[in-house]
Amino acid sequence: MTTAPSPVREPAWSLPRSAIGLWLTESLISAAITAAVVIALLIWVPSDLGGPMAFLRWAVPFVAALEALVSIFVRPWFKHRVYRWEITAAAIYTRTGWLSQTWTLVPVSRIQTVDVTRGLLQQVFGLATVAVFTASSQGTVRIWHLEHGMAQRVADDLAARAEQTRDQAT
Amino acid sequence: MTGPVPARRTSPRVVLVHTATFRQARQFIPYAIPALAAIGLGGGRWTVVGLVVAITLISLATAALSWWRFSYLDGPGAVVVTRGLVSRSVRTVPNDRIRGVEVEAPPLHRLLGLVRLRIDAAAGGSGGAGKDEEVLIDGVPRAEGDRLRTAVLSSRGRVPAPEDPEAPAPEEAEEEFARFDNRWLLYAPLVGGYVAVPLAAVGALSRVVDEVPDGVLPDVDGPTIDSPAGALAVVGVALVLLALGAVIGAAIVNWRFRLVRRGGSLVAVRGLLTRRHTELEIDRIRGVAVADGAGMRLVGAARVNGLVTGLGDAQRRGQLLPLGPRAEAERLSRRLVDDPGPLVRHPAAARRRRIARAVTGGLLVTAAGAVLTATAGWWPLLVAGVVLTVLGVPLGLGRYASLGHATGPRSFAVRVGWLVREQAVLERRAVVGWQVKQSWFQRRGGLASVVACVGAGRGGYIALDMAADEVARFAVAASEPWAEQLVPLTPPAVQRDDRRRPPSPWSVLPHGGRCGWTLDDQGTRAQRRTAELSAGRPSPPRCR
Repeated sequence: MTTAPSPVREPAWSLPRSAIGLWLTESLISAAITAAVVIALLIWVPSDLGGPMAFLRWAVPFVAALEALVSIFVRPWFKHRVYRWEITAAAIYTRTGWLSQTWTLVPVSRIQTVDVTRGLLQQVFGLATVAVFTASSQGTVRIWHLEHGMAQRVADDLAARAEQTRDQAT
Repeated sequence: MTGPVPARRTSPRVVLVHTATFRQARQFIPYAIPALAAIGLGGGRWTVVGLVVAITLISLATAALSWWRFSYLDGPGAVVVTRGLVSRSVRTVPNDRIRGVEVEAPPLHRLLGLVRLRIDAAAGGSGGAGKDEEVLIDGVPRAEGDRLRTAVLSSRGRVPAPEDPEAPAPEEAEEEFARFDNRWLLYAPLVGGYVAVPLAAVGALSRVVDEVPDGVLPDVDGPTIDSPAGALAVVGVALVLLALGAVIGAAIVNWRFRLVRRGGSLVAVRGLLTRRHTELEIDRIRGVAVADGAGMRLVGAARVNGLVTGLGDAQRRGQLLPLGPRAEAERLSRRLVDDPGPLVRHPAAARRRRIARAVTGGLLVTAAGAVLTATAGWWPLLVAGVVLTVLGVPLGLGRYASLGHATGPRSFAVRVGWLVREQAVLERRAVVGWQVKQSWFQRRGGLASVVACVGAGRGGYIALDMAADEVARFAVAASEPWAEQLVPLTPPAVQRDDRRRPPSPWSVLPHGGRCGWTLDDQGTRAQRRTAELSAGRPSPPRCR
């Protein structure tokens, strides 16, 4: 995206394209909810309240519309370029976020538990999230939106290898 | 060891303690208040006396019941605690999951020669160690408490094999790590936590006064203050009282604090009214955090917390030096973890970012103030905004001056914060993961923040706004070889080399009959490097 080199390596694998559909659906739903709230605001809050109300009456819908446009037409594709993951012989490595990005690296030897979760929307798109927990409350890696079969395979593989290589120095 | 050991009971004297402190009866308070409100306090003195007697009797009955229903047993493999008034609960804590034992003696317990044991068990899973992972054995005689503590700790999973000949000796050689000097109490008024003690006391008192019905309170007129000198005097007296309260609070908690090493454990003893005896396994100490707030830095004071894996309530239990001179704190810290050397400053872009962030709030207020001044002619907000903005600059500079990181051969350090500055020194093996964060602004400034995830203390320690191209080197230097994964493939030669698309996950991850890890020669350079590095590890699982 930008010219500045990334501070750390880019994980090798991207997410399935259906993740874009999922993000798009999420954006559409949240945009619909926001629109409902904004319309309710415009209908039921009287315009002659004075104070900052006159300003808010056009600023709030404007900001909401802008947010909706970005989240529907830009963000899903942008996120698909940012979200990457990789499992190597020694570690799990992911990148998430969009404007702010986060790279997370957790070695297989420090894995404590591996979960696969499927949210409602994820089930519609045949996706699942693999969550890898460590002894640290902040050292949790989530690999979002993998194909369900893939997620299950990743989880099984990681759990089996963690069992083998776990060391006590949590 | 042979035959079933009868379950042990706590001392019956604990019933007295619990009656006096309403320990069990306390849970009825939510029901008692509406009941009281319904009855009313109208009956005068005798009603009150009757109530007091009734409440005491209830307290006595519940305390006796719970004493009667409580028993514990420290078997060879586990501690079993049975309790429950109505529904019985049997809790079994395997010895190898016990992470620490705390012996405390509150004042009433001390009068009756009793102690209270808190057995801290490892919370399974994701480190969110809740308080419920704690077994409380309340009210055993002091000698039995000591016996139980040693029994539980010494029969823990890992047997002290090499030192076994010396181990049975009950009193091992002690080595003193720190001893509290009462002069250090004078630092207390500059430490937020201790200043909060008198404030909390005042708060609690005012709440109690609020609860008391109006008629009971004598109608005292507050003194009226007219002159500014009077107001100043009141403020001065309040400040002195606050400082005094902080010193007293610190004294109550830290009285005769001592930290000694006994065998493989660090033992901290402290407290004026409640004597607390906390034991930490040195093996589990992954690092230390040296904290010095803005006020403490003025007088050169600091505090030291141990970062211990799997320690519930770590803020209190991990304290290795509650309050003391900086030099003492550093000496203690070096004794527990290797010194990684002097901190490296973060780049100038980090200073710009700190200042920008510190000023943003003030600028927003200024902008709002400008709008108000223009539209309504109300200027105070504008002034406040300008003052905030100007104050933001030294704050940003101060926050920048705190930033730093260092890596040594066996440990590393990160420091952050201004109002509460904290330097964490951690062992390399402590790191269970890395998190690199980069916001849009950081990307433009060539910065990134790195969080070392550790299974101790707060769970993560951040190196804020490090130069982006230093991140990978820092991570590799501060943890074990697996962190090599983060190193960017050096551009551009290698990238041309590895132009081939990386293998898809489907081809790399085990599948169906071909279980186990397969890394074909398509693997990227980084993967190959890791494969080499981890060659010494156990071979990956194969399907049967």
